[in-house]
Amino acid sequence: MSETTSTPPRASTPQRSSAPPPKESPNSPKIDPIYYFFLFPALLAFTLAITVPAIVGFGYSFTNSIGFGDWEFTGIRNYIAVFRDEGIVGAYLFTLGFALVTVIITNAIAFFLALGLTSRIRFQRTLRTVFVLPMVISGIIIAYVFKFLFSNTVPAIAQTLGIDALSQSILANENLAWIALVIVHAWSTIPPALLIYIAGLVTVPEEVYEAASIDGASPASKLWHITLPLVSGYVVINTILGFKGYLNAYDIVVGLTDGGPGVATRTVAMSIIRGFEGGDFGYQMANAAVFFVISIVIAVLQLRLTRGKASFGS
Amino acid sequence: MSPSPLSRLQTSRRGLLAAGGALAATGLAGCGASGRKDVTFYQSKREIFDHIKTLLAELDAAQPQYRYVHDVASNLSAGFARRNPPDVALQNYNLEMSRFRERGGLSDLSDMEEASRIRDDIKDLADWYPPYPGRTSVLPWSVAGAAVIYNRAIFDEHGLSVPTTWSEFTALCTELQDAGVTPIYGTFADAWTLNQGMFDYTLGGMIDVRTFYEQVTEIGEEVGPGAEHSFSKDWQEPIARMLELLPFHQDDAPARTYNEGNTAMANGEAAMLLQGPWALPEIAKAETGAEMGMFPLPVTEDPADLKIRVNIDLALWIPEAADQPEGARELVKFFMQPEVQDTYNVDFLYLGTTKDAPPATDPRIVEMQSYYDEARYYMGASQFIPNTIPWANYLQAIVFGEKPETMLARLDSDWASLAYRA
Amino acid sequence: MSTASTSTAPRRMRARVRYNVPATIILLVCAITVAIPLFVTINMSLKTTAQAVDGRAFTLPAPLSGDAFAEAWSLTDLPRALSVSIFITAIAVVGEIVISSLAAYAIVRNWHRRLFRWSFFYLLAAMFIPFPVVALPQVQMTGMLGLDNPVGVAALHIVFALAFNTMLFTAFLRSIPISLEESMRIDGASTWQVFWRLIFPLLGPMSATVGIFAFLQSWNDFMMPSLIISDPRLQTVPVLQSMFQDQFSNNYNVSFASYLMAMAPAIVAYLLAQKWVISGLTQGAVK
Repeated sequence: MSETTSTPPRASTPQRSSAPPPKESPNSPKIDPIYYFFLFPALLAFTLAITVPAIVGFGYSFTNSIGFGDWEFTGIRNYIAVFRDEGIVGAYLFTLGFALVTVIITNAIAFFLALGLTSRIRFQRTLRTVFVLPMVISGIIIAYVFKFLFSNTVPAIAQTLGIDALSQSILANENLAWIALVIVHAWSTIPPALLIYIAGLVTVPEEVYEAASIDGASPASKLWHITLPLVSGYVVINTILGFKGYLNAYDIVVGLTDGGPGVATRTVAMSIIRGFEGGDFGYQMANAAVFFVISIVIAVLQLRLTRGKASFGS
Repeated sequence: MSPSPLSRLQTSRRGLLAAGGALAATGLAGCGASGRKDVTFYQSKREIFDHIKTLLAELDAAQPQYRYVHDVASNLSAGFARRNPPDVALQNYNLEMSRFRERGGLSDLSDMEEASRIRDDIKDLADWYPPYPGRTSVLPWSVAGAAVIYNRAIFDEHGLSVPTTWSEFTALCTELQDAGVTPIYGTFADAWTLNQGMFDYTLGGMIDVRTFYEQVTEIGEEVGPGAEHSFSKDWQEPIARMLELLPFHQDDAPARTYNEGNTAMANGEAAMLLQGPWALPEIAKAETGAEMGMFPLPVTEDPADLKIRVNIDLALWIPEAADQPEGARELVKFFMQPEVQDTYNVDFLYLGTTKDAPPATDPRIVEMQSYYDEARYYMGASQFIPNTIPWANYLQAIVFGEKPETMLARLDSDWASLAYRA
Repeated sequence: MSTASTSTAPRRMRARVRYNVPATIILLVCAITVAIPLFVTINMSLKTTAQAVDGRAFTLPAPLSGDAFAEAWSLTDLPRALSVSIFITAIAVVGEIVISSLAAYAIVRNWHRRLFRWSFFYLLAAMFIPFPVVALPQVQMTGMLGLDNPVGVAALHIVFALAFNTMLFTAFLRSIPISLEESMRIDGASTWQVFWRLIFPLLGPMSATVGIFAFLQSWNDFMMPSLIISDPRLQTVPVLQSMFQDQFSNNYNVSFASYLMAMAPAIVAYLLAQKWVISGLTQGAVK
């Protein structure tokens, strides 16, 4: 009996590798210098390639630069203008609401699909391949196809079935266009979430479920008491990343509605990138700085809310 | 444990790296191999790629010094920021492009003989945007004359003639509606078609675009309810007139796109389309034989007010930071040859920019020529609002039912804000 | 859901698994919704230009035509663009897997040290920096360092994905029990050896997952190559394909043919990789 199979239900053993303190090697306080080599070159490259440009970029937010040629310092004018700009404020409100709805829907669907794809179903391998397909299809095609579906196919079907509400393209409806955005974003971001959930679900060993079955647990209770807690870490990853991704929604929005009808679906990323392309560099850097702060605040809030409940399979 | 699939990945990766590296190296070495110097030519208007490639082949064959590389996708801002922009370009000249000129990014071409062959009023067209004083930074090469596209057969069928006043126009539309024909095909899903179509035509026909923008630029931060000129004030009437056009469009206009509009016109589904000459080849692509013509949209009761909308569809420029300015100038000279320039404009339904350019004869745009020659034109008002202000979206909101006052007030405050932080 | 079948089946019929039929049906229906865009793409790409301009996605090609593929091939100079894309993606994928897994291992094994713990949060926080902020300074920097070419793009891909990949590897690493390592160390193995001989192989499933993400992100990336690569002959497939993206063009058949040809390597790569993912996943993280 080797020591590797000595421990059954993983959930109950505390001395797994995620426990912080000293117990990581027999000679604890001495760190193997090679760990520095593993981490720091990457960290250095990261700092040079991202942090430094970010600081420079934020520096520009205090100027009237258009990204090229002469510029001058303008102090905090850009920031004042950002908070007074009702278009930007509106974009933030819309984007936040949209991100919230989409992250919930996407993760719920991805989680249940992952459960299905890790259970005993027919065509498991084919289905797993098919479901990741949206990730392979480029954003342009997705936007084009769904735009066509929403403007032509759906109204045609709705008219034959006599559903009035859907007979006009919802993309042309200021109040409903956001639904199309949620659907398309969910469609295209379920696959990555799915992959991550699958990776998480397979770390839960069979024996745990079997033991629970023997104790007479129902499928629902197994889900709630065993599966969810063990993969909660992955749920956290997906929701934080997902939220950040939707906050940055751009390609699909542009392809589907271009922020329309009117400005009903204009996202923050659109304001930033369009302004950036329109030579409004300094101003959009200020906008981006505000956006950065808001994104981080939300992420930290999310982490706080789930603290103590998150684990990564152990 | 099965043999690590990653070791297989390692071998294949090494192979790929080698192949990739070799390819990259060949690509880079290639520039020196033939002995010619490479000149980067930026041109991104997709519809004319084939034509341009043919011209470049001719140019390469006609001289031994330079090899012209057709750059279709580079990011200009990045190139200028990095100080290695393309050597020469043939591009649409608009507000965004004028930024590079304004900050001195483009070189002076006034010493070239070709520059003097260009019509003065067209050279001046480029100066409607902020110029760089003392330089001729761009050579307009091709101008688009835009107005109302109409289906000749439908007009003939209903015994209609080209209207010259607003009331004649509305009467014509009503007659078409009564006969069961859609007067104007709307493509409201694409906000830019509203901008460059019904908006520009109405505004250009009613106010002096150039003067207006000079005024609001001057007023700058103060643009708003109290100012002498503002978007809310000066644009109110034209926009109200524009909205009167809406009932003459088909019901599903809010969901239709530019491409669908072209197909619809080709299929004779509507009598008119408010779109520029670039749509004409697209309409012809469907090969339905429908014959088109163009007339300026009358928005007043005085036929003397009739004007067409123009913009510099293509212009030649050479950046200050070009690596091969001589090679660039060779290309400019080549493109400015009448055989090259005039042939292009005739084939693609644009208007020439030189003093000796032959008049257009294609029946689809022939009606534009006289307006153009008599300088009865304006540049679209939509083309002077920077991209950072989503005016096309505001306009779309108005068309979809939002109150014009609200969106115009938004435009005022955006414009003021822009001036404040500039 | 996952153990519905094992409890009652008699021993000798254990080999034949009873399938969860409702789940299968639901998944099949969902799969159809996924396949629609692919169908539309293939459908449009096989049409002639005259028919394609009407943009009707579901009408079948009549006549069938392969012209679009030929035109797309030459218009985008596809062979050259493909090799540039492959070059960048290959470097990015390998670089991301190796560099991120090393970093994650160092972080997880030294979580009790502030430096490492804070590095993790630093990476995470930097993930939220919006791309437009760093875009222009990066353009200037790569220009100055001579990295305004595919190599620079690959390097940037690796750096941009560092936070995300490290996070994934970290999560996965926590489920690997430390007892395995300890026994190797007792036998005298160095950290380097422990990593390469024990940990890295065990990271297989996550490496495959990270690899897939890395491949697809790098392959489909438009922004970075368009901003960073200055030589137009060294551009990648997505950037060259952007010529089909402007709203003025309705040569749908050519556009879709081009997208299809660009998607093909990605699909092939995924099909190959997902075998490893699945085999790795079903072996379980730890035996």
